[in-house]
Amino acid sequence: MTPKRISARTRNEWVTAYGFLLPNIVGLLVFVFIPIIYAFYASLHDWNALSPKVYAGWANYRELLHDDEWWASVRKTLTFSVVYVPLLFMSSLLSAVMLNAIRGRASGVVRTMFLMPFAITSVISAIIGMFMLDPRNGAVNHILELLGGSPQQFLASTSQAMFSIAGVILWINVGYNMIIFLSAMKEIPRDYYEAAEIDGATGWKSFRYITLPLLKETSTFILIVTTIGSFQALEQILVMTDGGPMNSTQVSVLYIFKQGFDMLNMGYASALAFVLFLIIFCLSLFQLKLLSSKKEGV
Amino acid sequence: MAVSKRMVLPVVGVLLGLLMLFPIYMMLISSLRSETTVFDFQLLPVEFEWSNFKTAWTESGLPRAILNSLFVSVTVTVVAMVFHAMSGYALARLNFPGKSVVFGWMLSTLMVPFSIIMLPLYLITKDLGLGNSYWGLIVPSIFNAYGIFLFRQFYRDFPKELEEAAYMEGLSLAGTFFRIAFPLSVPIIVPLTIGFFLANWNSYLWPLVITQDEKLWVVQQELAHIVGGGYFTPWNIVLAAAVIAAIPTFILFFIAQRYLVEGIKMSGIK
Repeated sequence: MTPKRISARTRNEWVTAYGFLLPNIVGLLVFVFIPIIYAFYASLHDWNALSPKVYAGWANYRELLHDDEWWASVRKTLTFSVVYVPLLFMSSLLSAVMLNAIRGRASGVVRTMFLMPFAITSVISAIIGMFMLDPRNGAVNHILELLGGSPQQFLASTSQAMFSIAGVILWINVGYNMIIFLSAMKEIPRDYYEAAEIDGATGWKSFRYITLPLLKETSTFILIVTTIGSFQALEQILVMTDGGPMNSTQVSVLYIFKQGFDMLNMGYASALAFVLFLIIFCLSLFQLKLLSSKKEGV
Repeated sequence: MAVSKRMVLPVVGVLLGLLMLFPIYMMLISSLRSETTVFDFQLLPVEFEWSNFKTAWTESGLPRAILNSLFVSVTVTVVAMVFHAMSGYALARLNFPGKSVVFGWMLSTLMVPFSIIMLPLYLITKDLGLGNSYWGLIVPSIFNAYGIFLFRQFYRDFPKELEEAAYMEGLSLAGTFFRIAFPLSVPIIVPLTIGFFLANWNSYLWPLVITQDEKLWVVQQELAHIVGGGYFTPWNIVLAAAVIAAIPTFILFFIAQRYLVEGIKMSGIK
């Protein structure tokens, strides 16, 4: 009698559990998992979305090796990351340090000010960027002139457009990353600093030898998430430059987007997407590994 | 020296904060200038052109786009909260075979970046007959392992006694969840709701890909169209439209800043 009742309850638990998981299992399967497999399948085909797929083997992958526009887009992506990631990291870390040192009501006010751009959507940030960076009349050039500099072309210049976009994306994301740093800093016990102070370590020294090492996990998290994000920056670019001027802001995702949706080269675009996915996937694995080894170490 | 230091940091902080706010201020103030003075560089306009807002509202698809965005964002958020809570609860509180496999698999989907699957996702969604429709805007946006993960964390620390008592009273496991656990999940639902709503209100790429019909355009698409749709729209009107589109997120920001901060902290802790 008793074993049977237990098994009925157990079975009931299994049914409920799978019932609860079903919508997400199906949803994640159809809208995340299958698309990845589908991308790989499509990448092995010659397919322009209008005619039927023709099996092509690795031809698309061989083609991308000789596609100068693809390599150029990879270089643009890396340029963007190399500029954006350290800048975002440093500015959110420094603002967190500053905010952590501010006490009382001022701290809440400053935090709100830093976080407010986060409430701006990517398209609106792009619009504001275009307006403020206008080469002839934009506010940024007004300020440059007030400071004695000469006006710049920004989004209209092949050498400055990417930096300008990085600046706009940086602006709306600093506050978010600052909060993550700040909450990690708040968890560092005060005693550490007090003990260090007795040993004569204050200011830069206590930051260098206490704060930074204890922020290692958070720093790694932010670095990897930002790097992955930087490989995918697309929305602001679409609105502000659409890859121009002269392809100077055509990053990899934008090239994939254009190959797929504008030129309808579905097979080729899928191969490009799949390669980029593999790169990002390796980065994510690296991130998971770092985080889990860190947890075991503690 | 300690006194001056105490004064310096807040002042520097506020100055930097003002720098962060400057572009937002420029959007607001320039949206009130006339077409010819929109680029004027003084902190206050000579005269306030409130009619810009009327023009932006009546001469664009903004009203309809805002309704579309509201409808899509609210629907996605509500459905996602229920589905994700159910899954999070099952993973935290119920025992069943294959639990760790399911959980690991769900987490692994977090590694799939949206911009990479955009193309196959579009093809699949279209093949399912959801292309160019509200369904296509809504359904694929619901599923996200992130919410499941955070609900699971929350339910792991949830007091067991309440559920035990409910179960003893004869409530089913599903009943226990819907009547007891879910209503008590407000501390996790609020920050997640804000996060989901904002993310969907921000959504631009997916709607751009999946909709062709102008009637289905969401607010970000409409804005992108106003600023770069091929026709010349004066900057003061563009900015007025941007201000209108930013109002909902700013209201949400000020009402829910505390929860927003909580949500951000959770994302960093992982």
